[in-house]
Amino acid sequence: MNDSFKGRVAVIQFPGVNCEYETAAAVRSIGLEAGIFRWNEDPALLDDCAGIILPGGFSYQDRIRAGVVAAKDRIMDKVAQLARGGKSVLGICNGAQVLVEAGLIPGIHWEKVDLALAPNVMADREGYYCNWVHLKKEKSDCLWTKGYFDGEIIPIPIAHAEGRFVTEDAGILGAMKKNDQISLRYCDASGAIVESFPVNPNGSVENIAGVSNREGNVLALMPHPERATWLRQVPEDLEGLWGRRRRGATGEAVRMEDEGPGRKFFAALRDVKGKDPR
Amino acid sequence: MKTPVRLWVRLKVIDLVTQTAWMTLVEKLNFAGRLGGMTHYWYWGMDAEGADAGGILEEIDRVIRLDGAFTNQNKHRYRLAAGQGLIRGDLALEEDFIVSNDAVAPGVLFAFDCLVREKRPDRETGFAERLNARLKGVAVSNMKYGEVWRLIVSAPSSEAALADVERMLVSRSRREGLLLNPHYQIYEIIATTRIEAGKSTGSARTKE
Repeated sequence: MNDSFKGRVAVIQFPGVNCEYETAAAVRSIGLEAGIFRWNEDPALLDDCAGIILPGGFSYQDRIRAGVVAAKDRIMDKVAQLARGGKSVLGICNGAQVLVEAGLIPGIHWEKVDLALAPNVMADREGYYCNWVHLKKEKSDCLWTKGYFDGEIIPIPIAHAEGRFVTEDAGILGAMKKNDQISLRYCDASGAIVESFPVNPNGSVENIAGVSNREGNVLALMPHPERATWLRQVPEDLEGLWGRRRRGATGEAVRMEDEGPGRKFFAALRDVKGKDPR
Repeated sequence: MKTPVRLWVRLKVIDLVTQTAWMTLVEKLNFAGRLGGMTHYWYWGMDAEGADAGGILEEIDRVIRLDGAFTNQNKHRYRLAAGQGLIRGDLALEEDFIVSNDAVAPGVLFAFDCLVREKRPDRETGFAERLNARLKGVAVSNMKYGEVWRLIVSAPSSEAALADVERMLVSRSRREGLLLNPHYQIYEIIATTRIEAGKSTGSARTKE
C-alpha cells in the first residue's frame, strides 16, 4: 500500500501484531476511513493521516520485552515527530507498550523511558491474563477519552502478560498526577478503586490503565476498546448498565450492532479529522 | 555445608530472541563494528545447604532434570555448577563465545556476562520454594533468577567496552539501550572474559 494516508487513520502493522484489522473496523464504525500501514512503508506517507493507532498483538513476538523492538523501528521516528506536532496517536495494549518503550508516554522528558509496562503481578497466577474489567475515566485533557464524562465507568476487555504500569521515579508519578495524565484507572463495577486483584488485574501502580502525554494527543491504553465497539461484543453476564443493555438486545440482530462501551475512544477522532495538528 | 550453585540454560536451536536483539543493536542502535557476538541464557544462582558439594550437585541435578520450570532436555542445554569445579550438564559455557568475524575489527574483545533480573524478590523466592519442595537432604536459599546476556564487545579498553555494554543494556530513551527497562529490572556483571579476536583460546572460540 503505497498511497498517501491523507484523511485516513493509519493502523500501524508491525510484524506480530494481530489486532490491526479489528482496530481498523472499529475506526470505520464511527465513519472514518482507516487503513493498515506496514511498518516498513515510507513513513512520509503518514504526514497527512487523520490519526495513528498502534494496535494490540505481539510485535516482534514480544522478544526481549514487549514493545521494545518496535519502539526502535524507523517508523517510530515519524510517529514521534508527528505526535510532538500534535497528531492524535493511540497505542492499544502492545501499542501502549511500544509508546512507553519509545518514551512518547508519559513524554515528560521527551523520548526518555520514564515508565515500564512490566509483567503482571497477580494473586496466585503468573503470565497472560484476559478478562473484562472496569475503567474509571479520570479528569484529563486527553483527546481520546473526551467522549466519556469524568467518573464514567467503562467496561472493557484486557488481554496481556505485561501490563503493569510502574516507574522507579516517584517524581514522574507525581508529575503525571499533577498534569492529569492518568486518564483511566481500573475500578470495580461500582467505580471503587480497589488495589488488589482482580479489580487491578496486573498490579499497576495507582491502578493505572491508561496514560496520556501532557498535551493529551497521545494515549497508551492497556485495555482493548476495539473489542468493545459493538454491543454484541459485550458479555451477557456483565454487571451494570452495559450488561443490561446487552441482555436486552439478545435475539435482536439490529440492536446487537449498536455502540459498545469502547467506541467513544475512536469517536474522539472525528473531532480532529481535517484539523491541522496542534 | 553451604555451597554456591549456579544453573545456566540455553536453547539447543538458534535463539531468535538473541538474533532479534543482535539485529536491533547493530542495525538500529549503531553498535555495528563494536558488538562482536551475543548469547542468551536463563540463570539461577543460589546457596545450597547439604552434606557435601558432590551430594548437593547430584540432588539438584536430579530435580532440575525432572522439572520443566528449569530445563527441558528436548530443547535446552544446561550447566549446573556447585562450589569449585563440580559441574553437570551438556552446556560448555567456557566455549560459548561465538564471535562474528565480519562484525568487528580485529583486535581485543571483551565478553561480559550481564545478569538481568526483575525487581521482584517474590519471583525468586518462588523458585527456591519450588526446588525445596522437591529436594531431599538439600535446601536452597538466596535465589537469584534472571537472564544472562553474554555481550562480546570490541573496544580499545575494558572500561570503554563496559561503557558500551551499559549503553546496550539499559533502555534510557528511544535511541539508547535495549535489554532491560530500569523501572522494573536491574543488572549486574557476573563475569568478564578477555578474548583475542579471530583466535581460539582456552576460553573462547570464533565462528567462521
